[in-house]
Amino acid sequence: MANNKQYWVGLEELHDTEEFKQAKENEFVSQPQSVDAFVSATETSEAAPGRRDFLKLLGFGVTAATVAACETPVIKSIPYANKPESITPGVPNYYASTFYDGTDYACVLVKTREGRPIFIKPNEDSGQVLNARINSSVLPLYDSTRLRGPLADGKPASWDEVDSEIENRLSKTDGDIAIITGSVISPSPRAAFEKLAEKYGEEKVRMVSYDALSQSAIRRANERTFGKAVIPDYDFSQAKVIVSIGADFLNDWLISTQNTAQYVSRRKPDGDWMSKHYQFETLMTLTGTNADERATIKPSNEGRLLLALHNKVAEMTGGSKVSVKTDDLPTALIEKAAKDLAANKGKSLVVAGCNDTALQVVVNGINRMLGNYGTTISTNTELFVKNGNDSEMKKLVADMNAGKVGAVLIYGANPAYNYPEADKFKSGLEKTGTAVSFASWNDETASLCGFVCPDNHYLESWNDYYPKTGHYALAQPTISPLYDTRQAQDSVLKWCGADQTYNEFMKEVWRRYSGEMGGDSILFEDFWFNALRRGFVNVDVPGESVFGDFDASAVASAAQSIASRKPAGDGFEAVFYTKVGIGDGAGAVNPWLQELPDPITKITWDNYITMNPADVEQYGFNMHYGQEMPASVAKLSVNGKTIELPVIAQPGQKRGTAGVAVGYGRGAAGEEVGRAAFRTKEYGGHQTDENGNKIPVGVNVFPMVSMEKEGPVFHAAGVTVEDAGRTFAVAGTQTHHTLMGRTSVVRETDLKTYKTSGPEKYNPPHVLPIHEGGTVINKPVQDVDLWNNHPVAGVGHRWGMSIDLSTCTGCSACVTACHSENNVPVVGKDEIRRGRDMHWLRIDRYYSSDMNMEKGSDEGKGVIATYREMEVPQYDNPTTVHMPMMCQHCNHAPCETVCPVAATTHSNEGLNQMTYNRCIGTRYCANNCPYKVRRFNWFNYKAYDKFTEVNPAQDEMARMVLNPDVTVRSRGVMEKCSLCVQRIQGGKLDAKMKGKPVEDGAVKTACAEACPTNAITFGDLNDTDSKVLEGHKDDRAYYALEEIGVKPNISYKVKVRNV
Amino acid sequence: MHKEAAIRTPLILGDKTYHDITADVVGPIEGKASKTWYLLVTIAGLIALWGVGCVVYLIATGIGVWGLNKTVGWAWDITNFVWWVGIGHAGTLISAVLLLFRQKWRMAINRSAEAMTIFAVMMAALFPGIHMGRIWVAYWVLPLPNTFGSLWVNFNSPLLWDVFAISTYFSVSLVFWYIGLIPDFATIRDRMTAPAAKKIYGILSFGWSGKAKQWTRFEEVSLVLAGLATPLVFSVHSIVSFDFATSVIPGWHTTIFPPYFVSGAVFSGFAMVLTLLLIMRKVMKFENYITIKHIEYMNIVIIVTGSIVGVAYITELFISWYSGVEYESYAFINRFSGPYLWAYWAMMTCNVISPQLFWFKKIRTNLTLTFILSIVVNIGMWFERFVIIVTSIHRDYVPSSWSMFYPTWVDVGIFVGTIGIFFTLFLLFARFFPVLALNELKTILKVSGEKYKKEDH
Repeated sequence: MANNKQYWVGLEELHDTEEFKQAKENEFVSQPQSVDAFVSATETSEAAPGRRDFLKLLGFGVTAATVAACETPVIKSIPYANKPESITPGVPNYYASTFYDGTDYACVLVKTREGRPIFIKPNEDSGQVLNARINSSVLPLYDSTRLRGPLADGKPASWDEVDSEIENRLSKTDGDIAIITGSVISPSPRAAFEKLAEKYGEEKVRMVSYDALSQSAIRRANERTFGKAVIPDYDFSQAKVIVSIGADFLNDWLISTQNTAQYVSRRKPDGDWMSKHYQFETLMTLTGTNADERATIKPSNEGRLLLALHNKVAEMTGGSKVSVKTDDLPTALIEKAAKDLAANKGKSLVVAGCNDTALQVVVNGINRMLGNYGTTISTNTELFVKNGNDSEMKKLVADMNAGKVGAVLIYGANPAYNYPEADKFKSGLEKTGTAVSFASWNDETASLCGFVCPDNHYLESWNDYYPKTGHYALAQPTISPLYDTRQAQDSVLKWCGADQTYNEFMKEVWRRYSGEMGGDSILFEDFWFNALRRGFVNVDVPGESVFGDFDASAVASAAQSIASRKPAGDGFEAVFYTKVGIGDGAGAVNPWLQELPDPITKITWDNYITMNPADVEQYGFNMHYGQEMPASVAKLSVNGKTIELPVIAQPGQKRGTAGVAVGYGRGAAGEEVGRAAFRTKEYGGHQTDENGNKIPVGVNVFPMVSMEKEGPVFHAAGVTVEDAGRTFAVAGTQTHHTLMGRTSVVRETDLKTYKTSGPEKYNPPHVLPIHEGGTVINKPVQDVDLWNNHPVAGVGHRWGMSIDLSTCTGCSACVTACHSENNVPVVGKDEIRRGRDMHWLRIDRYYSSDMNMEKGSDEGKGVIATYREMEVPQYDNPTTVHMPMMCQHCNHAPCETVCPVAATTHSNEGLNQMTYNRCIGTRYCANNCPYKVRRFNWFNYKAYDKFTEVNPAQDEMARMVLNPDVTVRSRGVMEKCSLCVQRIQGGKLDAKMKGKPVEDGAVKTACAEACPTNAITFGDLNDTDSKVLEGHKDDRAYYALEEIGVKPNISYKVKVRNV
Repeated sequence: MHKEAAIRTPLILGDKTYHDITADVVGPIEGKASKTWYLLVTIAGLIALWGVGCVVYLIATGIGVWGLNKTVGWAWDITNFVWWVGIGHAGTLISAVLLLFRQKWRMAINRSAEAMTIFAVMMAALFPGIHMGRIWVAYWVLPLPNTFGSLWVNFNSPLLWDVFAISTYFSVSLVFWYIGLIPDFATIRDRMTAPAAKKIYGILSFGWSGKAKQWTRFEEVSLVLAGLATPLVFSVHSIVSFDFATSVIPGWHTTIFPPYFVSGAVFSGFAMVLTLLLIMRKVMKFENYITIKHIEYMNIVIIVTGSIVGVAYITELFISWYSGVEYESYAFINRFSGPYLWAYWAMMTCNVISPQLFWFKKIRTNLTLTFILSIVVNIGMWFERFVIIVTSIHRDYVPSSWSMFYPTWVDVGIFVGTIGIFFTLFLLFARFFPVLALNELKTILKVSGEKYKKEDH
């Protein structure tokens, strides 16, 4: 029955009408109109939408409008739909490559993440080390002011146009074709340039190189004394006594990174022996701060000082003497040095920095007397760096001016900026028909050239290097060119009509030499692959001497010429020196290097005149600079050229001298050389002059370098210094320069004390008088504790660090490495001036003072007066100490207890951690930090206008250098050294994957990795075999400010001076 | 109830009747405001707006607009905070402690002193807020249940204790002040004729009808709140001082800080009360209520607390020498002989020497001198906090980080701005609130007694 029941939905169904039947057939009453039909319909009636369509369109319209109104992020990256071989997102790849820029050379490893190079570290297999200039070299790769394609007559052009025009002009020119380069130490580029000679005629093409920081006198001296213009390889690691006359060999003398590694290997007081280092110099140099004994001299007296040393050594070794006036020389120290030298014949080394042939000849004479050839000075290994030939360059400039040169190609050189006779060069360039520059920027020289064919950055390039006998190195691209640039050698090959790529060409060159390089026994492809993977090939050095016979008469005549020189008199003298960060000017475009505090003055973003404090006082210039204390500006005139720069009082500089660094004043005529080279305004943007040109940081002093007959000389006599009557703000990260007798911050001793007495003498423990059992007993501070220990001792990992103050040279490579690894913001001059540098790792530099508490009380001085005098560094010859300072990762961290929101906490691995996204920015932790290592984000550095011109994180291109493993901090949070926690985590994961415990040395912080002297050791204090634990247990180990009981995980080792 | 010695001068002068008191206090609220008031409130309001502008600029741009640096992480911000908290001490001390000690003379001054406390604490509370790098997450200092997992505040941090101390102090003070206001609001309500005003005061007076039972409860609550507030008077500034005392920084790490801070706070609080009342007394013609005797009593409190503060300064110096700790002794040598010696000696002059002048009765009963010295004391107390904060951290352990602090216009602007806001609030209070506790005052008025004294017998 129930089956008969019918349900109907409406009367239509009940009556089963026709309309209903039709409707039932066709469920969707009318076909919805498609959007296309609606949009394309021309007739209104045709397109008239039904109610449903109208609603749909309305809905679509509203949604579309809403969606369109929201800014959808445009993501330009391409997802790895197919995983590229060898790239795993999140896992870095390392490629061996080589850095060389005419000033520095080193084999490096390039860390790339997802195809982007982000960090440069030393290639440890090669045994070479880096400095700040090298490990910062990754940033210019991403500089958005680099040329993005070739230029013809200053306007962008296509490669084809440029190529055909240049080829045309090169083949048509009547004059010579000159290739101007810096020192080229690369076989393949040399071969490529030679190909150019083949094509356009050997007699027409000539290759001329010059060095901005010329050291050609060494070659010339060897030519005179040994008959061969070579630079031998010096070995500082074999020298028990090192005497340097003005050579800043830890910074800019020959291959400074090699010198540093060798030098420091013998500066360890625990080794078999520790070298003794004497330094005679004018300015306070990085090398001078590390010397055991130091005396200052005027640059014009260097020659006589060398003769005096020569005479003393001759006296003791039985050589011939020359007569010389020595009354105004530091004779006592000369005698002492000579005595030490003579006592260590064959195990000593005398080097000089000046570019004066006669002086270098005398140096050769002294080394010869001491029998250092064959021991500390190699007779069979030659250095090929600094192979510029100043006289050839001079001749070329003269030829250019005479109109004899039809075309110049300029590669790896910037003569319009750094050639001392730049004006002559520029006028010659005007008379040269065709000028082609391979510069990456439209810089001082490139902007004067008709064609600019921008070379790739070295991280985008193939190259090979042969810096010294027996050592070949390769550079390989780690990223495809970011801009429409082309490797210079590819350009050259193209113009030669070769259809090879440079890579193929280079392989061919190597194939030719592979036998020599020991590649005979294996297939070339295997040899090539291995060489590329390792980055270098070392081969045995043939035994034969690179020198000819020694010519004693050369020394005698050089000595005669020095002795007969007219004395410079008492006038002011100037020295033009190289800064650790800026080098020959290449560093001026790099914000990391501009922000790097100079290891000596601790000043950033500026060039200045250094003078002895006594001279500064005498002139009435401002003795101190600070946030609201600008420096006085002085006018310095040399040979009719005048510059105005602020004056800085530099302790340890010879009185009556002025020092100015080269490398500044880039882009003075408004050339685009990189944003960091220009001064910024207080609230952002560049400062401009009345012509609208950006004002460069500092002044270029290369034009003041005098071009002598044989080459440039980097000092000058007859200098006048006048008050310019105005002041100029300078920005330094350290404005107080003495230690105030605080021996619990820095401890130092001398080698004799260290060797002959126990640690209680040179590293006395801190004790606290404690009442116990009715008597007062002295307890070591580590036994007195208010707090419970963190349960990290012996459980899991406990990360720590050991820093050896004896081997830290203050070179600051760690500072830039940290900057690069940890995305530390660059804040610019105005913020540094306000004491807001963001460096997680800084190097404190202290000078000794004449005063101390004991002396003060002996002299009956009051305590206030004593402290005031302790604030003043010794004017003439202070000792210096460099102390790397970063978060000490205290076990009883004062910062941790005071944070109201627990944003900074202790990890169970002993790290003091900073949780940025929990931080509310009270800065209480920074106030309560005894080491003052915490850094606050005062502004939104990654977006605020003030930092647009300085902070790479604000630049679309430069942002690519950021380490993806490290957060870019936002405004209002605190940050500080994390002991590279991202590396620790990476190392732990790596060990876990391998199923082994983390090996000692497997995890290295960026600073430890960058340290050229291994002064910084990082590791696990719970690993009983670790080096860092050994460091902590060393007799020299102490904790900075141990008596306040914060129990750092970072220990220092007492600095030992060999005096 | 109120016993009065025959030899004592009465607390209220001028033969006031109960009605006179009501008329004197409520009269100005009922009448039109004077031109002076409008002028003052405009000036104060403009300064306040300037301050608000500076705060907005600060929050929009970053803490970097202040003059702080890597070494000096606190300067004017926390100086101003401690200064305002200190000023906010007097009100509660006067109303609570003096109530417990049955000091009847407090009745003429407690209302405005408490209002001053409330406003000063509001100004103080501004600074820990805006000194944060990320003020938008300021609520993280509260132990709120949250979705961040087990994330909790750090109970070890004195800054957190501050949050509790200040908020407790503020709420107790506010309640105490408001309870006192209820009967007075009721009086105003009863006298008001304008319906809107009557309505508002009606709401504010919580239906007070003046029954004996209400008065009993009023007395009881006052006593209970006084009991609650008294420890707070001591706790607030003790806890503020812990911000420094529990640190490791020489010059901060000092066990003497709690009593030293509390007496300093009372010292500056009374000085500020004097500054305000001396003006109010004149402008609102309260000479008969706030008498020379009140001024003198307050000046005596200033001598006592000022001397305690002076002893504390000397003790600090002594201990820094006696401790034999080089950092500790240098911190204090640097204070009085370093680059900020002018701040130290300004502090010493204003806080230690100037209040000693009040030993002379002529000076402590002289209104002009009292007024000047009250301002001098507050200048000195500002410098005290500046000296403690800035001169301790600008040169602490590691000489490489020693630096100077230079304020920017934003530092100055915000400080001046808070003074503007404070005076704006106080002027509004003076216009719309009963500035004297009129119903309480009536309890110390002995109409019959006065008459009796005056009549010849």
